Amino acid sequence: MIFFDILKLALRNLREAKLRVALTTIGVVVGVTVIVTMVSFGLGLQRNAVQRFKDLDLFNEITVTGQDVSELVAQVFNRGGQGGGGEGDRRAGVRRTRPQQPEQAPKRALDDAALAEIARIPGVEAVEPTVEFTAYVRANGRTQPQSIGGALVPNPASRFKSYAAGHMISDPTADEVVVDSRFISDFGFAKAADAVGQTVELLAPLGAERNPKQPAAAPQDEQAKQGSKQQRKANEDELSFFGLPLGDDAETNAQDARLTVRTFRIAGVLKDEVESGGVGRQARFRGLMPAARLYIPLATARELSHQYRDPLNEVALQLARESGALSAQQAEGYPSVIVRVNDPDVLTDVRKQLTALGFSSFSIVDELEEIRTFFLIVNSALGLLGGISLLVASFGIANTMIMAILERTREIGIMKAVGAEDREIKLIFFVEAGLIGLAGGIIGSLAAWGIDVVANRLAYRFFLQPRNVSFINFFALPPYLWLGAIAFAIVISIIAALYPAARAARIDPVKALRHD
Amino acid sequence: MSEALLETRAVSKHYQMGATTVVALDGVSVEVREGEFVALQGTSGSGKSTLLNLIGGLDQPTSGEVVFDGRSLAPFSKREMARYRRHAVGMIFQNFNLIPTMTAAENVSLALAFGGVRGRARDERTRALLERVGLAERTAHRPAELSGGEQQRVAIARALANRPRVLLADEPTGNLDSTRAHELLSLLRTMVERDRLTVLMVTHDRELAARFADRTIQMKDGKIEQRMRDEG
Repeated sequence: MIFFDILKLALRNLREAKLRVALTTIGVVVGVTVIVTMVSFGLGLQRNAVQRFKDLDLFNEITVTGQDVSELVAQVFNRGGQGGGGEGDRRAGVRRTRPQQPEQAPKRALDDAALAEIARIPGVEAVEPTVEFTAYVRANGRTQPQSIGGALVPNPASRFKSYAAGHMISDPTADEVVVDSRFISDFGFAKAADAVGQTVELLAPLGAERNPKQPAAAPQDEQAKQGSKQQRKANEDELSFFGLPLGDDAETNAQDARLTVRTFRIAGVLKDEVESGGVGRQARFRGLMPAARLYIPLATARELSHQYRDPLNEVALQLARESGALSAQQAEGYPSVIVRVNDPDVLTDVRKQLTALGFSSFSIVDELEEIRTFFLIVNSALGLLGGISLLVASFGIANTMIMAILERTREIGIMKAVGAEDREIKLIFFVEAGLIGLAGGIIGSLAAWGIDVVANRLAYRFFLQPRNVSFINFFALPPYLWLGAIAFAIVISIIAALYPAARAARIDPVKALRHD
Repeated sequence: MSEALLETRAVSKHYQMGATTVVALDGVSVEVREGEFVALQGTSGSGKSTLLNLIGGLDQPTSGEVVFDGRSLAPFSKREMARYRRHAVGMIFQNFNLIPTMTAAENVSLALAFGGVRGRARDERTRALLERVGLAERTAHRPAELSGGEQQRVAIARALANRPRVLLADEPTGNLDSTRAHELLSLLRTMVERDRLTVLMVTHDRELAARFADRTIQMKDGKIEQRMRDEG
């Protein structure tokens, strides 16, 4: 007997007991609905959490640290000794306390050659050195010390994606600045759009421009206002003195003879992310790059950061140069760089290569694994709840099938008398149960989908919208989930039919056909 | 005398009823040749239906063996037994045993489906079979809409679906009035004569047995009592 005949027979049998089959199917529907709704909620949570981290560039970035000058000096002057240069954190870039992984100390400086080498590692999308310093900033008639960061231009990182007003710095050499929303309030702008196009002045001590190798050169105040390329040359190998900045005095608008002023135009104002939790500060962390109030082109920032170098650092550099550990032509390395990979999955490999190159690295991908494990447990627990309800339904199926045997004893006897094999009798029951599972699975999946849609709408209408938060899909309903649920329902149904089918096949035709 | 198509060799059937053993059949040996119409006649409880079920492959003897076309059924697996029931023998019963939710055509078609006949061939054969038993016009009726005689004819069509060589009939006229009974047995008689069908019929009706069968085997208390040859 071909399967199509079995299928037709099974369908006919199901039609003969419509109500009972419908009730049994409802049991399966409930089970599948619970499974799919629960797991889709768990998957939705997971997706939203992971997506959030991804959006913040937290899963595709690595912080790479290189050997800094003080370590170089420590090596030269304290052979074999450790930590002669002290452990005071003089790395300009690592300002905030971050969970640094204890790793072996980096053996190489992050100079331009090293950066080029890192950029060649397969999977590396971008390499962005961390340059950060604090400077007095004058804008809109106010003067305050602010954190300033260097930014690659153009910049693919998510932090430079959305703007409250304006746009990203247009050119790597442009004297333009991107500021964040706190800057707007700190400097008394009414709204973001007002700030765009306005001037920002970075104040540096006069001596910063003086090159010690050219002691005869006069103070070049005007040079400060000139193009950055020229300035960069002047700053190569330079050693500057630390000058005390002036007080926060709005009256110092007039060009003071002891200060150099570098002028930037505000190109754009970054948009603060709306944090559903309402913790505004948290939203400022995007990626592993330390956040700053103002971002200027990287090369300019690098050059200016030398002017704001602290004296201890300055001495270290000088010592390194004198000892020959750092040649006059050799630029000092960046304290750290951010490496962005094109896929979180290659992150571990990239990190291994970075270690092989002699750098220390840090990433939070390990936390991604933890998140995955956590959600695996959550989803399993949710799935188990649904599984229990499907298990209950399976007893309903078994019951229905046994009822069917009692009703169809004679019919089974007849089939056997006309030559049905045991396996054909079994198959009819399996197909019947399988069809109940299939119908229950499909209806249950549709019901779960409906619940997801309605729950999303309700959550938006009564929870998110009143709090001015945009629509969030709390559920994830990937095809493998509902297809898997349907398959699971079919399998459970067939398992429930194992005993009834075996019992049907065992029916003695003589007894079944005995005339009443 | 040609070799027997169907043969039982000293078959016995014992049933266990609690502590007591009931002997339904006690060493019965019968032979049926191809194209013969044989009646198994006896009172109720004489073991005639049990014998028919053994020959029909629905039951296994406690001892002895059933031989069909020279082959013993004893070593058959369950599956081979199902094939035997499907292709070698066809059975009809006193209460017709049609599936009540299926039409006449569907009942016949079901047997063909188990026999592996498909599609158009199945439909055509179903129609031909129902035509042969004179029910060409009643194919779409369910058993409840058919008379007893008509139902039994559907059963005959179903029994003959997979072209068995033997038709086993268990009290086929038990639920029919005498006119319908005569009509039905005439039909079987025609099939025996025209198509060389072999019929083994269980009946308690001496008169019908004598009238339509080539010979009658008399049974009593699980044993063959006497063999009668009847040319009527």
